[in-house]
Amino acid sequence: MFNQLKARFGSGLAVGVIGMIAIWIIGMVVLPQLLMVDYSFRPNLLPVDIGGPKDIYTLANYNTLFTNEIHLKIFFKTIWSSVLVTSITLLVSYPIAFYLAKVATPQKAALCLVLLIIPFWINEILRTFSWYIILAYKGPLNALLLSLGFIQRPIRFLSGDGGVLIGMVYAYILFMIFPIYNAIESLDSNQVKAARSLGAGWIRTHWRVVIPHAKPGIATGCIMTFMLAAGSYAVPSILGSPGSRWFTQIIYNWFFEGGDWNQGAAYAFLLLIICIGFIALVMRIFKVGLGDIAK
Amino acid sequence: MDSSVHLDNVVMEFGDFTAIQKTDLKIESGEFFSFLGPSGCGKTTILNMISGFLDPTQGDVKIGGQSMHGVPANKRPTSMIFQNLALFPLMTVAENIEFGLEVRGVSKGERKKASDRLLELVALEGSAAKKVTELSGGQRQRIAIARALAVEPQVLLLDEPLSALDLKLRQHMRTELKEIQRKTGITFIYITHDQGEALTMSDRVGVMSAGRLQQVADPITLYRDPQTSFVASFVGENNSIVGKVLSINNGIAEMDCGPLGHLCGRVQGAVKIGDQATVFIRPEHLRLSAEENMLTIPSVIEEVNFEGSYLTLNANTQAGSNLAIQLESRQYSENLMKGANVSLSYNVEDAIILGESAHV
Repeated sequence: MFNQLKARFGSGLAVGVIGMIAIWIIGMVVLPQLLMVDYSFRPNLLPVDIGGPKDIYTLANYNTLFTNEIHLKIFFKTIWSSVLVTSITLLVSYPIAFYLAKVATPQKAALCLVLLIIPFWINEILRTFSWYIILAYKGPLNALLLSLGFIQRPIRFLSGDGGVLIGMVYAYILFMIFPIYNAIESLDSNQVKAARSLGAGWIRTHWRVVIPHAKPGIATGCIMTFMLAAGSYAVPSILGSPGSRWFTQIIYNWFFEGGDWNQGAAYAFLLLIICIGFIALVMRIFKVGLGDIAK
Repeated sequence: MDSSVHLDNVVMEFGDFTAIQKTDLKIESGEFFSFLGPSGCGKTTILNMISGFLDPTQGDVKIGGQSMHGVPANKRPTSMIFQNLALFPLMTVAENIEFGLEVRGVSKGERKKASDRLLELVALEGSAAKKVTELSGGQRQRIAIARALAVEPQVLLLDEPLSALDLKLRQHMRTELKEIQRKTGITFIYITHDQGEALTMSDRVGVMSAGRLQQVADPITLYRDPQTSFVASFVGENNSIVGKVLSINNGIAEMDCGPLGHLCGRVQGAVKIGDQATVFIRPEHLRLSAEENMLTIPSVIEEVNFEGSYLTLNANTQAGSNLAIQLESRQYSENLMKGANVSLSYNVEDAIILGESAHV
């Protein structure tokens, strides 16, 4: 890269450009992360003790999670709920993506895409908060269901995980739709027709022809949604009930309420490592390579 | 088994656009039928109606006497071979061929037997485990045929399947397709814009233009006795000269063609005395020397092209129009050069006269 830049702009400018990128990446991304790694292995000490005999490298911060039953429970619940969010988002997004890519006329597809994107111009907090209003005990959704006679008394949507799931599916739907849409769009429509012509019903056509083709897109969408869901803070803190705390909230508490950055950093890395490991495992099960996703 | 296809007064409209004008056509059981026409004439639409990807706006498609109204594509006794073949790239050759059987819940062993038999039919034994992408164009073509035949359709629909192949392979595949059709006895419906394909393979050909079926006939009749001016000029080469009908006698009309004098030809369809009409003469029916009973058109040679087994000439007539002439190579002589005067002649029986009504 340096040689190409040098050939085009001369060595002075090339050094400048590369240098700025290096400063950005090293100073703004790599060093802060390394600092956090360093933090996570050291105990939380009073300023006077830092650099003293008590300042040693230890796994104690990581061990905390495994000794705290409540935190551990919330940790696994976060992973499990993120899987749930990802699955529901996939179920909702796949038909939309297929419709946009293969069924809708170009005009209709463009209109739908605009309608999907416009809500995302609004701040995530506001969007999530609007769900808080919709799902409230005396909110419009309950009022509607009551007036239609579907329910006898209001449902508490916001207690338990329901509200969080709904809010997250909504918040991440675009991250799922777009990769799948891209993947399905590249499918030759004659493949679908060929499957139909050979006698395949709709379910089998999707199972054997469309989904295998869209697998890289589905994997990309699922990974993004899963990572975003597991690392989400705004949605669970607005739509969550006391019983549905997210692991990110605990990390937040360590940092900003407990003032224990070392402990917070260790929790954050545990979440990151487990999430990456989980994704690697799932990719292996579904035989998706990293190369497929990069396509 | 009756595997005839009946297009029972079908009409296909897309909004304001009528893709298929009212068409009534019966394709016989076990026939090799081709729809021939330029791109955009509606032939693919017809195929889509038979296969069930489109429902006719009016009328009905009947296969084996059964109405196909409301029967989805996957429930019809048809199977289609696509222009781009549309093999499933993520499956092996065997999986491709067995797909239709898998859908029907046929057991693994039976499926394997069927795919082995079909691979033998298309002379590709031993390719079962290969990836589709490892095959050459001609081999893929044959896998597509095998895959479509695996479901034992009553009607096989072929959408210009040879157009992606090179000339040699295309000619080879023509014979092979014909051979497979003979062996299986399935009704083949073939669409193409290539008249060579249509004429060599088909029992009957339907020529289409602008959503209208112009003429349905066997290849020889189609070539010899075109019923419309479109068929006359689309199927094979043809020279056309416009004139006015002077007299009709025993199916032979005499026309006043202005500076070219009086020309005669066989009348096709409805032509009356006094009508504007066109006389069509094929390039290979024009001669340089007149024999007895031949009509002559004095012309000047414009261009001479040697094409191997034959020779094509372009000549300007006195009316300023251009005629194409095709001669056998051995008729070449040094006198045939630009600017030479020739007297073109033809047999009256070889010329066709079509009236105004034939201009559809």
